[in-house]
Order: sequence, then C-alpha cells, then structure tokens
Amino acid sequence: MLVTTVALAAITFAYRAAASLLPRIPDPLVRRAQGLAPALLAALVVSELAGREAAADGGKVAAVAVAITLAAVRAPVWGCVAAGAVVAAGLRAAGVG
Amino acid sequence: MTTQPSTVTIRTALVGAVPISAPVFVFGISFGVLASAADVTGWQAALMCLTVFAGSSQFAALSILAAGGSPAAAVFSGALLNLRYLATGAAVRPVLRGGRLRRSLEAQLVVDESFAVAVAASDEGEPPNRVALLVTGVALYVAWVAGSVTGSAVGPVLGDPVDLGLDAAFPALFVALLWTLLRRRSDWVMAAAGGVVALVVAPFTPPGVPLAAAAVAGLVLAGRTGGDDDRGAASTAGDGLPDGGT
Repeated sequence: MLVTTVALAAITFAYRAAASLLPRIPDPLVRRAQGLAPALLAALVVSELAGREAAADGGKVAAVAVAITLAAVRAPVWGCVAAGAVVAAGLRAAGVG
Repeated sequence: MTTQPSTVTIRTALVGAVPISAPVFVFGISFGVLASAADVTGWQAALMCLTVFAGSSQFAALSILAAGGSPAAAVFSGALLNLRYLATGAAVRPVLRGGRLRRSLEAQLVVDESFAVAVAASDEGEPPNRVALLVTGVALYVAWVAGSVTGSAVGPVLGDPVDLGLDAAFPALFVALLWTLLRRRSDWVMAAAGGVVALVVAPFTPPGVPLAAAAVAGLVLAGRTGGDDDRGAASTAGDGLPDGGT
C-alpha cells in the first residue's frame, strides 16, 4: 500500500504540476487523456464483476443494477454506492447473493 | 452560476464550497471504510488521501490491491485514471501565481469539483477563477482526508465487509462514476469499447490488465475518430470526487 501510495502520489503530483513546470504540453495528448475516462471506468466495472480474482455473485450484480438506476435519476454518487452495498448485504443475508 | 469574478471573495467561495464538501466528506468516509475492509490502516488510507487527492484513482488502486493485484498494476491503473489532471493543470495555469514551485503546489488543489466551481465562477472565455479554485480545493482536501480518517475509524466497528456488501461497493461506485461521465455519444462509445475489451480480457488476466487494455482500446479509438471532440479542458466534473451534492 505504501509503495502504491508514494508512486501514485508522485505521478499525480507530476500531472497537476506539468503545465506549471514544462514549457508546453501538446493539446491532442491532453484532450485524448480526457476522453479515456469512460473506457477506464467501464473496464473497472467489468473487472469487478468478471475479473479472474473477482467472485461475481448476485450481490455485486444487483449492486451495479441499483447503482445505475439511482445514478440515472441523479442520485449522488455516494448514495448509489450505499444503496448498492445495502442491496448486496440484503441479498446475502437472505442467502441469495 | 453567473457570479462576477471580481466579487468572488474568500468568504463567498467558502460558503459555496460547503455543499460540495459534504458529499466529498461522505465519499471520504466510504474510502476509509473500504480501505479498512481491505486491511489498510487508517494511517495508510489517510496518507493516500493526503498525497494523491483523487478519488477514483484511489478506489481503483485499492480495489486492485484488495483483489491481490500488484502495486505496479494498482499504480498503473491510478495513473491512467488521473491523466485528465494534465488537462486541468494546463487549464488553470494562467491563474496560478509565483515561480514554478509555488505554481506546482497551487496546482495540487485542482480536483474535478474545485476546477468545475472555478470555471463556473468565471466568465466565458476567461480562465478559471483563482479564489474559487484555491478555496474550494482546500475545503475539499480537508473534507476528503477527514472523511477517510472517520471511515477508517468506523470501518472496523461495522463488522464483516462481505456481509455488509462492502465488496459490492466497488463496482457500484465505478458504475455510478461512469454514469456521470456519459454525456456525449463519444463517451458512450468509449465506455462500450472499454467494457467489451475488458470483458474479453478480464477472466484470464491479473487485476489491472483489463484497465490497461481498455486504455489502449480507447487511445486507438480516439486516434481513429480524429480524437478531439469538444470535451476540452473546460468540461466539468470528471471521474474524481463526486459532483457537488447532485
């Protein structure tokens, strides 16, 4: 965790500081970096559900479904997460998830 | 918001930062709770919040480590997710002051929300508002770290993470964040491409690799479609800390 933190912190610091430290950052690079985010997050969702180490179960799938539904009606992100966790917990308590 | 830039005082900015700080605080709590469920100590979680200050990358890294992935995979994933700070860092450069060191440090207060607020507080065509940026940035920074500390303290008391559905919190979080990003058709296409590529790769590879594959797919796709749609540096609320309370 510590190694991860230090390395990620250094990289993120560099990203934020780059424009202040370097003469110029090419625009196309910058804009392309912006556009990647949806692809990355979709991959994270898939990794959680279908990854080699992941145990895809009803609870996780239900959590995702609940989260999407709430996000679609503009619930705040933390609300979607909490609802997802609650639903997963409920299913597991009922012996289903 | 049509606040005249010259009248954004520190006090005005602080008042405006409160409704955004609250959900960030709660989000920080969830980070602390999930971290504790992954056997990460309160100090470690707080340190990450203090030094990285970027929600989605922290959750991604945490999820990879929790799944048994390597630190390299966790760092790489976080680094991909935080690429947008190259863009926002460039966008705020005009309003940063001082020499290179000071500007680099001021730039660390850029997060999606502080950037969005700063842009909203400035006029069309003007650079983001400096006071709004720095004040909101500080407020969110405090809220994020405080939330993490709180979550780490509360987490162990809550009981078995799986029973609580906390492991399901990760995919729920990522999909909720993804939803906030899907504005243009190109965003949907990117998400679909990343998802499909990840789906093909995920069952056979270690944590972090699907993300890298999706990044490559995304870059190739962006190259093909001529890349730069109007999702420029002024776009608001990316996939970092959550939207202000909406």
